[in-house]
Amino acid sequence: MTDPFPTLRRRGFLALAGGLALAGCAGTQATESSAPRSGGRLRAAFAGGGAKEVLDPHMASLFVEAARSKALYDKLADFGSDLTPVPRLAEKWEPNADATTWRITLRQASFHDGRPVRAADVLSSYARILDPKKAFRAKASLAMIDLTSSRAVDDRTVEFVLTRPYVEFPNALATFSAHIIPESTEDFARPVGSGPFSFVSFTPGRSTVLKRYADHWDGAARLDEVEFVLANEESARVNALLAGQVEYAHDLSPVTARAHESGGRVRIVRSPNSGIQAFAMKVDRPPFDNRDLREAMFLLADRPQLVESVLSGSGQVANDLYGKGYRHYAESIPQRERDLDKARFLIKRAGAEGLKVALNTSEAATGFVEAATVFADQAKQAGITIEVAVGDKDTFWADTLKNGSLSSFRSGAMPIESHVSQRLLSKSTTNVTKWARPEFDALYDKAVSTVDETARDGVYQEMQRTLHAEGGYLVWGFADWVVGTAQAVDGVATAPANTLDWARFDRVWLR
Amino acid sequence: MKGWRGVGVVLLVVPLAVAVFGPLFVPDEVGRGRAFVDSGVLGTDFVGRDVLQQVLLGGRTVVLVAVIATGVSYAVGVPLALTAAMARRRWLDEVLMRPLDVVLAVPSLLVLILVAGIAPHGYGTVVVVVAVVTVPDIARVARAAALEVASRPALEAMRLQGETRWRLAIGYVVPAMAPTLVADLGVRITAALYLVASASFLGVGVAPDAADWAVMVDRNQSGLFLVPAAVVVPAVLIIAWSIGVNLVFDRAVRR
Amino acid sequence: MTLGRYTCRRLLLGSVQVLAVLVAVFLLVEALPGDAAVALAGDNPDPARVAAIRSAMGLENPAAQRFATWLGGLLSGDLGSSLVSDRPVTEFIAAGLPTTLLLAGVTLLLLVPSSVLLGVFVARRAGGRVDRVVTAATIGLHAVPEFALAIVLVALFGVELGWLPPTALGADPLADPAVLVLPVLVLLARPLCAVTRLVRAAMVDALASDYVRHARRLGLTRARVDYAHALPNALAPAVQQLARTTDWLLGGVIVVEAVFVLPGLGTSLVDAVAGRDMPVVQGLAVLFGVTTVLVNLAADIIAFRLAPRAGSAA
Repeated sequence: MTDPFPTLRRRGFLALAGGLALAGCAGTQATESSAPRSGGRLRAAFAGGGAKEVLDPHMASLFVEAARSKALYDKLADFGSDLTPVPRLAEKWEPNADATTWRITLRQASFHDGRPVRAADVLSSYARILDPKKAFRAKASLAMIDLTSSRAVDDRTVEFVLTRPYVEFPNALATFSAHIIPESTEDFARPVGSGPFSFVSFTPGRSTVLKRYADHWDGAARLDEVEFVLANEESARVNALLAGQVEYAHDLSPVTARAHESGGRVRIVRSPNSGIQAFAMKVDRPPFDNRDLREAMFLLADRPQLVESVLSGSGQVANDLYGKGYRHYAESIPQRERDLDKARFLIKRAGAEGLKVALNTSEAATGFVEAATVFADQAKQAGITIEVAVGDKDTFWADTLKNGSLSSFRSGAMPIESHVSQRLLSKSTTNVTKWARPEFDALYDKAVSTVDETARDGVYQEMQRTLHAEGGYLVWGFADWVVGTAQAVDGVATAPANTLDWARFDRVWLR
Repeated sequence: MKGWRGVGVVLLVVPLAVAVFGPLFVPDEVGRGRAFVDSGVLGTDFVGRDVLQQVLLGGRTVVLVAVIATGVSYAVGVPLALTAAMARRRWLDEVLMRPLDVVLAVPSLLVLILVAGIAPHGYGTVVVVVAVVTVPDIARVARAAALEVASRPALEAMRLQGETRWRLAIGYVVPAMAPTLVADLGVRITAALYLVASASFLGVGVAPDAADWAVMVDRNQSGLFLVPAAVVVPAVLIIAWSIGVNLVFDRAVRR
Repeated sequence: MTLGRYTCRRLLLGSVQVLAVLVAVFLLVEALPGDAAVALAGDNPDPARVAAIRSAMGLENPAAQRFATWLGGLLSGDLGSSLVSDRPVTEFIAAGLPTTLLLAGVTLLLLVPSSVLLGVFVARRAGGRVDRVVTAATIGLHAVPEFALAIVLVALFGVELGWLPPTALGADPLADPAVLVLPVLVLLARPLCAVTRLVRAAMVDALASDYVRHARRLGLTRARVDYAHALPNALAPAVQQLARTTDWLLGGVIVVEAVFVLPGLGTSLVDAVAGRDMPVVQGLAVLFGVTTVLVNLAADIIAFRLAPRAGSAA
């Protein structure tokens, strides 16, 4: 076995990363904190979508759009750092006995123009998202709502009737881009929301300026203003941060973090368990319809090497399961280790000796091609030839949903339940691995209709044991999410991207 | 001036030698470690590979692609220009040269993005793109040179003596055009090299972790402050070769 | 042929050329894998959602029909609207044009006088030490790819020394011209070398020509001979090179735009192609095609004026 690295060093490193992860989850910060104070403008640099970007929160898909929506608008709920839904505009939610009807009580909150947030606004926002003629991203996640039967009980109470029992309904309320907008808004030139910041100005592809909304229900933000500026090149964001042109730089590479962490010019904030890194095997077609071969692939992967070289060590080894550290994650399943002998044995049993297979990848996400080539080297040691096929980055996700048998995959944070319902059921719309099994579908239905928390957790564990044993996702790592800030910035929390505390500027202050 | 020629030859030969013979000194199995650490002679690159090995491997593509692309461009552009210039009928000249104007009016950047999006990834694509972008320029220069030669009295005299048009083209016009074309060649190779490097920088046609000097400069820049050699060494090799080509061709022309 | 008729003929030819460019660009973008709906759906390519987006964008119509509709709009002066954001294409052009014009303008304003002066300066000292040093420097600098130069300048002056802003992020270049220094230096480097070398070579030839020797024998001062008689003839080849440079600068300089965060037309173009936003790509292609035709025409007219004998207008 060729192993360029002494095991000891690797273990030592992993322990360190694990330690960081724990510190992150507990919400403690490595650097000393100052007392919160008010005032000032924070300039935050994000990658952007160019002149085509829009302010319509329901059309958001980029990180900068999500961060901007978070500042301008509120959702009924949002995700905590372990992906448990946290009430936001909804003060509380109460299901009936079989979780088919949910009564939501709204907080006393107001939009930036002074109008109160009412049940009618909530219903109209969801009706807009669910419009059959439109194609909003959150539509699939809210599809179980029966709008015609749902109603406003009074101005601050909504009753949602669902088409099926759904215990995890709060996940839907917290889903990406399900923001509440004032009733029948269609013009977003000067957006009005209920979020902690109100609109000042917007230049597509360049900058958005927002100012503090003093009457926000969750307490006013500390910053006077926040400005979102766009720089697609990571190096440009770092350089601007180093030169004091911005105070917050989103989405930095682990290498950048290492290069500047100890320099004293910037602070580096790492959020563990943010980016799920994987290879997706399609289980409905050769060669990966063979269970032995899938297990062999699991066993031949050298995950620590992938994490070291592709993530530059800034992440953790994964166990072929989604969502480490999230609610319902099967922590008890032992970590899979590399076992080349067993992999070779399984390959032989599958009759796949000398197999040649294409690995579809592209530059749709950073590190994809690198991970693919590293993995190809690893597979070669078990006698499997992986040909890395680099495709078009703009159409990659649609291409790999249909074509090929092995592809690169990554995902942002979402609850394990959402991951299953979007990707692992017979009727899932983005089922890359083509994992479609009636008995697994039944397990999911059982989980989301089991009101008892412990019993439900048991079902999730069972689903994950199946996926770990013979699923199509070879999940090899969890990447840290890296953000850089100026020394003067305080209160930046560590939280996976797309959760409540990620890119949350109402809790940030300048020293 | 002798000293300069020496410098030119050294600048031309050293990167070329690294490019052509470098891969012979690299073992088949490429080790991987942590990204951007000071191990080995020059440290590791952005995916933890040895920078020295990557430097030895990465010249072949840059240098060869530039040379081949230039060769292809001349192979297409010069006959085209010659036919156009020697054409008896004016419409043939127009038919051959006007489409090239269309290519010139599309920004080379757009050509680069579009062709790379349609064609499969790989060095063949880069060669095609570089050729598409440079052929119009070469054809224009070559046509101008050929027209100038064709209008010489000597040619007129030979034609009256019954020499065929094509014999004249190959036997007289091409040799007479040669100095102009050679003078142009140095510039074209540099331009091709530059285009190949830019293509790599834009991630066009080349895998983002390919062993390639231009890709190295781009991809390793995040580690500029950790392992400067991973950027500086390949950049210096590209620049040195480009200077060398220019100095040597300048001398060759002036002689 | 008079200059007026020549210009008309060239403009007519130019419009045919632009039309050919449009057809070529349309076919190439159509040939790219995927369409605007797939690109917009991104990492959530739910087939039902993609189909809904596609129908909302009107992408079900045949390509030829979409092109014809767009072309009809163009003839009545309407460039159409973005498929992705529904904003008019003119807005996209208006968003990128000021930056592109500013970068191109400042670069040319510095490029033309400095390259001509430097070229003449060294040509008058041809063969001397100054000439050799400048020639070597121009060859060397010309060999540095712009992205490499940008990386080095930013790391050194922007980050390490902190003398100049490394990016134009969140800054207004007009209010804060310091942000333009590094990008303009990068843009200037290679054209400066190319034009200087051309001017030098042509000037050396001109100074050695019969008519200059004749003019000197007539007793004109050296400066008068050099600048009033030799220089205009020496500029003709440089004008062609300047036209290529101008065309390049106006076509969007994507590397410099990306590194220094100066989103101009190059950035718009790359974004539009990535989003398969055909009307925007087409609108930019019209603009670039027209620019090329006009710049080349201007160059030929100037070259004709400078040196009637060498002009290609004949």
